[in-house]
Amino acid sequence: MNNHNVNREAILAAANNLRWEVGENLHDTLMESIYENATAIARKAVIYPDKKPAFSFDRTLDKILTSKYFGFPLMLLILGAVFWVTIEGANIPSGLIASLLVDTLHPLLKNFTNSFMPWWLSGVLIDGAYLAMAWVVSVMLPPMAIFFPVYTLLEDFGYLPRVAFNMDPLYKKVGAHGKQALTMAMGFGCNAAGIVATRVIDSPREKLIAIITNNFSLCNGRWPTQILISTIFIGGIAPAYLTGLVSAAAVVFVAILGITFSLVVSWILSKTILRGEASAFSLELPPYRPPRILQTLYTSLIDRTIFVLWRAVIFAVPAGMVIWLAANITIDGVSIANHFINWANPFALIFGLNGVILLAYIIAIPANEIVIPTVLMLTVANLGLSSVGAGSGVMFELDSVADTASILHAGGWTLLTGINLMLFSLLHNPCSTTIYTIYKETKSVKWTLISTLLPIAMGFSVTFFVTQIWRLVVGS
Amino acid sequence: MTDPLIALIAGILIIGFLSYIFWPNFGLSDKLKRWTQDTERVQIEDALKHLYDCEYRNISCTINSIAGNLSINADRAAKLVSRLEALGLLAIQGEVLQLTAQGRSYALRIIRVHRLWERYLADETSTKELDWHDIAEKQEHLFTPEQADKLAAQIGNPVYDPHGDPIPSSKGDLPTKKGKPLNEMLPGEFANIIHIEDEPPAIYSQILAQGLYPGMQIRVLEVSDKRIKFEANGEECVLSPIIAKNITVGIIQLEKQVEGKYKVLSSLKVGEKGTVLGIAKALRGQQRRRLMDLGIVPGTEIEAQLESLNRDPVAYKVRGAVIAIRKQQADRIYLESKESEKG
Repeated sequence: MNNHNVNREAILAAANNLRWEVGENLHDTLMESIYENATAIARKAVIYPDKKPAFSFDRTLDKILTSKYFGFPLMLLILGAVFWVTIEGANIPSGLIASLLVDTLHPLLKNFTNSFMPWWLSGVLIDGAYLAMAWVVSVMLPPMAIFFPVYTLLEDFGYLPRVAFNMDPLYKKVGAHGKQALTMAMGFGCNAAGIVATRVIDSPREKLIAIITNNFSLCNGRWPTQILISTIFIGGIAPAYLTGLVSAAAVVFVAILGITFSLVVSWILSKTILRGEASAFSLELPPYRPPRILQTLYTSLIDRTIFVLWRAVIFAVPAGMVIWLAANITIDGVSIANHFINWANPFALIFGLNGVILLAYIIAIPANEIVIPTVLMLTVANLGLSSVGAGSGVMFELDSVADTASILHAGGWTLLTGINLMLFSLLHNPCSTTIYTIYKETKSVKWTLISTLLPIAMGFSVTFFVTQIWRLVVGS
Repeated sequence: MTDPLIALIAGILIIGFLSYIFWPNFGLSDKLKRWTQDTERVQIEDALKHLYDCEYRNISCTINSIAGNLSINADRAAKLVSRLEALGLLAIQGEVLQLTAQGRSYALRIIRVHRLWERYLADETSTKELDWHDIAEKQEHLFTPEQADKLAAQIGNPVYDPHGDPIPSSKGDLPTKKGKPLNEMLPGEFANIIHIEDEPPAIYSQILAQGLYPGMQIRVLEVSDKRIKFEANGEECVLSPIIAKNITVGIIQLEKQVEGKYKVLSSLKVGEKGTVLGIAKALRGQQRRRLMDLGIVPGTEIEAQLESLNRDPVAYKVRGAVIAIRKQQADRIYLESKESEKG
């Protein structure tokens, strides 16, 4: 036995010495010669039928989609169309789901539970947990069920690799990977899904950059906030016939600002804590092919939509409870929520925000979708308006933009508050679903913390400077 | 409400102050971290490494050379040496310092971690070539032998680091030193670069700037006291002997003696075709494997098909697929030139 071991050691040592002799290129040399032989054999044995493509559809389409003049405009146009389809198409199903879950089912459940539960328990469970879940489902499900399949169809058709091909020069300059363009576009649907998508990037350094900057893509949960606030405050100062156009332009501007931030932050990261140069980028541009629609629908619904939705629901339920409790537990006759709002107001005003917004963003960490309902609920509760709303701690949304506007104006909101809310909505911590996904992907507390705190630090800095310069120039 | 102007100035001051403290690498907190990390253990390990290096290169090592290598003064170096002796890592024979067996195996453990890390950084990450050494220099003091074995297994138990230095085995074995410095070559000789010394950084960065890397095939054209001229990958390079001394060459696997200039892939215009001759050794690890997986190996026909803005990246047709490659990589894929194609 002992002899055996000695022998084995000697063989291993000899093998190691030989490896030094052979050098490190053995594998490459082997692989190259195998390929060389295979090619030689194939050349002798395989006869290609002499068919020349009469009209190369692929090459013509490639020439247009990646051309100097049409490449970028076409890209913006196609992505814009995807967003438009998502926003427009989601409105009706969102309304239907909301009317079912919120308007119909909620009172039923409430009456049912009230019959045997104490008021506070049915409040926490139904007004808090259930309603938050209902909001998240009704606001998130339809846009995701539209966006992800459309995105997957584009991917299947072969367009997305061309986007990466077009965008690559920009990403190369900032030391990032060309495929970051794909994960960024995915982030416009949902940041958590975008972060899962960073798995396509091989290099760990560039994958981290893609993960950290993904939050700068406005996700579905933030589009409604952007659109509503932009319509009320920015569209509001334009002449009536331009309102739609101006507010849409403002939202697109914020989205492009997000892309700019993602490039700038990528550049800073690859100069500092993630030092390095852009690594090899070999991207296959597959031939265009007709998308397999049914299969795409199925996989994108199961893999992406349901997966993301399930995580969001898990996180929204406890948040709903917290919202209800914060609005209903009182100290000295004032609810915890109001205590916080009054305490945070002076601090928030420095950043051109207010206590309601800060509290809403803290409560809405689980899901960005509930920011606007929470803001409305808190504003009403804080002002003590009794004519609107659905009772304390109950989130609601108003049917008309005008009603929402009047509540916000009553809460002391100005154009500056609106602008800052839009900026803050772009630059704040990722939602808890995304934070959890970042942790799952990086397995590192450090990178999770950096991805969480970096955007929020940027958000406070940007709103601070905007506010002070605004006050200096416009006057408060 | 505060005056916006004062708030603005205060904001700028706060951000300036915070970045002064927390700015990566240059900030106060990182400086402090570096300063506290510079402990006795680190110094002992660095001294052992230096002693081993002297032994490997057959030059004698003194207290002064330790002081120079670690940038500490002679007094501290002398204290360090007596501490090493007390630990049984070092034997002093008059002026000359010699490692004990225990000291040698300690030094080899550190060197193993250092070279494994450089190899890992080169193969698996996109860290800049000039940063490899510094990062490895930090990691070598933090890794246990078990962690080193794990890292080695993860990257396929490599035997050489990216500079061409052999990596000690986990038992502490090393092959004997091979090759000779570039400035001792004769005109007309073919050779492969087998090692590029990465210290001092000033000289190393000059070698990098010439685009030289281990594994590269060269042909010496002219050797004199003032300069050494040679052909590397079809381009002429001129180095001063001081720099050439840091490059070790040897005759290893010269299966193809390629003379004259060959083209690089990036020189193809859209619609032009070429035949792959090989991938430069400077493309390594994942990058290299990926290119070879895509079928970019000697003998493959390749055609430039589509250009992005600024001609970077360019999409090439390889074995029926269209692959986009950045210029940085396309510069390092060699094609047969027209003349050799005919023959």
